[in-house]
Amino acid sequence: MRAIYVEHISKSYGSFRAVKDLQFEVLGGEIFAMLGPNGAGKSTTIRMILDILKPDTGRIEVLGGPINDATKDRIGYLPEERGLYRSVPVLEMMVYLGTLKGLSAAEARRRSLDYLERLGLAENAKKKVSELSKGMQQKVQFAVTVLHDPDLLIIDEPFSGLDPVNTLVMQDLLLDFKKRGKAIVMSTHQMQQVEEMCDRLLMINKGEQKLYGKVDEVRQQYALPAVRVEGQGDWSKLAGVDHVEASENGHQATLLYLKPNITPDNVLAEIAARADMHIRAFELAVPSLNDIFVQVVTGDAQHG
Amino acid sequence: MARIWLIARHEYLTNIRRRSFLFVAFGIPILTIAITMLSVTLIFNKDSDPRSLGTVGYVDLAGVLHKQIDQPDYFRAYDTEAAARAALDAGSIGAYYVLPADYLKTGNVSVVAKTDIPSALGNAFDAYLRANLSSGLDAQVVKRLQDPVEASIRTLNDGRVMSENEIGGLFVTPIIFMMVFLFASQSTGSYLMSGLVEEKTNRIMEILVTSVTPFDLLFGKIIGLGLLGLTQLVVWLGGGYVTLTLSHNFSFLSAITIPPDLALVAVVYFLLGYFFMASVMACLGVIVGSEQESRQYAAIFTFGFVIPVLFITSFISDPNGPVVTFLTLFPLTSSISVLLRMSFGSLPTWQLIASMVILLLTGLFVAWASARIFRWGLLLYGKRPSLRQLIRVVRRPPSMATSATGEQNA
Repeated sequence: MRAIYVEHISKSYGSFRAVKDLQFEVLGGEIFAMLGPNGAGKSTTIRMILDILKPDTGRIEVLGGPINDATKDRIGYLPEERGLYRSVPVLEMMVYLGTLKGLSAAEARRRSLDYLERLGLAENAKKKVSELSKGMQQKVQFAVTVLHDPDLLIIDEPFSGLDPVNTLVMQDLLLDFKKRGKAIVMSTHQMQQVEEMCDRLLMINKGEQKLYGKVDEVRQQYALPAVRVEGQGDWSKLAGVDHVEASENGHQATLLYLKPNITPDNVLAEIAARADMHIRAFELAVPSLNDIFVQVVTGDAQHG
Repeated sequence: MARIWLIARHEYLTNIRRRSFLFVAFGIPILTIAITMLSVTLIFNKDSDPRSLGTVGYVDLAGVLHKQIDQPDYFRAYDTEAAARAALDAGSIGAYYVLPADYLKTGNVSVVAKTDIPSALGNAFDAYLRANLSSGLDAQVVKRLQDPVEASIRTLNDGRVMSENEIGGLFVTPIIFMMVFLFASQSTGSYLMSGLVEEKTNRIMEILVTSVTPFDLLFGKIIGLGLLGLTQLVVWLGGGYVTLTLSHNFSFLSAITIPPDLALVAVVYFLLGYFFMASVMACLGVIVGSEQESRQYAAIFTFGFVIPVLFITSFISDPNGPVVTFLTLFPLTSSISVLLRMSFGSLPTWQLIASMVILLLTGLFVAWASARIFRWGLLLYGKRPSLRQLIRVVRRPPSMATSATGEQNA
């Protein structure tokens, strides 16, 4: 099922073009990363998907059609700058926001208690939001976002400010949603999380689409004609190696750039055949998403 | 549509628990009742009870009281001043009056007491003297002598008829209404505004606008807080009723009666005026950055309530003059003006209807314009829009403004 379909949308604020001709789709059962530096147009795009803003040109379908009040009830949205009613008891606020999404009060209450239990916040139900720690507040915010069991979840920076334990709790919840066929869009700067969790990604810079596709494929696209090795030996003696370079990320790793028509397998075989070389690690020089991100943004992307 | 009620209910239930609301709504009436009861028991009862000194003696050297007509049972005659003095010293009487031999010529009366004389005792002795001095005259003449003027005031222009005692009420009723209006609408209006400022500041607004329409949000808030204001009004009027009942002995206060037609018009004007004001407050709440700043704008409405009271003399001396007519029709001042004129009884029906229609239409227009600005400004942060920008928004509404990029799309 196609959760989001964005067809050539553009949006300008006065003379400033915030979004230029974006086209992408998000499928049910996948976690979709929306990446880009600050001010790239991510928030504007999300707001257009949520019908807060109208695109100047282009078309957006959400959950099978143009967005309407009924589809809004099937969306869960956690904005980047998030907040809660500070002076209202946690449970009461959750029930209120749940009913605004179309749940009955009784159902909202049942689910709220359920989530509070799952997130280890059961004893805080009667407390005011202002009495909770920041991490607790964030978990409550997440619970509010998913209370109505949305088919499409849009989350801005889901892990910012969370400790490692709570990050795991949150990851499990998101993966659980994915397993149940829901679509999840997450906008984040934490590339590590994207590599670990996301199926596909869209990267925009200055309102334009830069990268779009499966996370692995995008990384492959940026793979260097090189292998990264750790071990002992004078790697430059290898016949298949063009030149050698110290790896930027990796303590003792070295990048071996391959001559044309040489595969990593050839090099590995050569190393194995030689007695004066020992390897501890051998891998394709696929850059991290972080590197790709920096490359794209600084504008000197070297397609391989 | 159902979500309007959810929002209204939430606004009502969260704000009714505010400490400031509880204080204004319940604290002030309780305080008023307490003070009234205190003054009634401490000051008034003592002064109004002619028996508070016990038996009171008198020495009639002028010979005018020998018939003892209508003598109260707590008066006792003494033949000599010395006897009366002895009784006072012995404590069997609390005070004694002396009518000297030349009383008829001079009117001099002396009173001897160890404490203050309650004014009611003075009145009782006066009445006793009058009854005896006038003995032998026609009974009707005696009655008139006792109470020569029983005035009934008929206010100008076919107004209400009220007895002498009620004149206090003439001024007090509308001023009380003004205070109640002022407090009730100011507090609920400022809750409306500060609630919106809070929702914008903590960004919960983004969640709200993806759950409900701006229209639901605006009217849900207006209805919820309107019911809150009404609650306050009811509590206060109930408190006022209790106060009046308790202080029934105060001739001044007991004169304040609230005629049912006036109460009805008051409630209608409260609702219309509140609707008008709340629409503006909501609009200000979304475009003004801070709660502090929003309070300054809210003061405009305070002026609307206070100005008619400043012109109160015009309302009495020239009730059909241009100033009063203007204040009656102008939507900011009409609520209080109509109440003032109704309690003075000088409001022509056409003006009442015209004033209501004007207030209703202005309210609807302002609500409509506010809804547009409200929708536009919900997610606007930072720079405050100019008046020209706002007018453009009302005339040709764009989609919501956001500050995602620091720019506005008006």
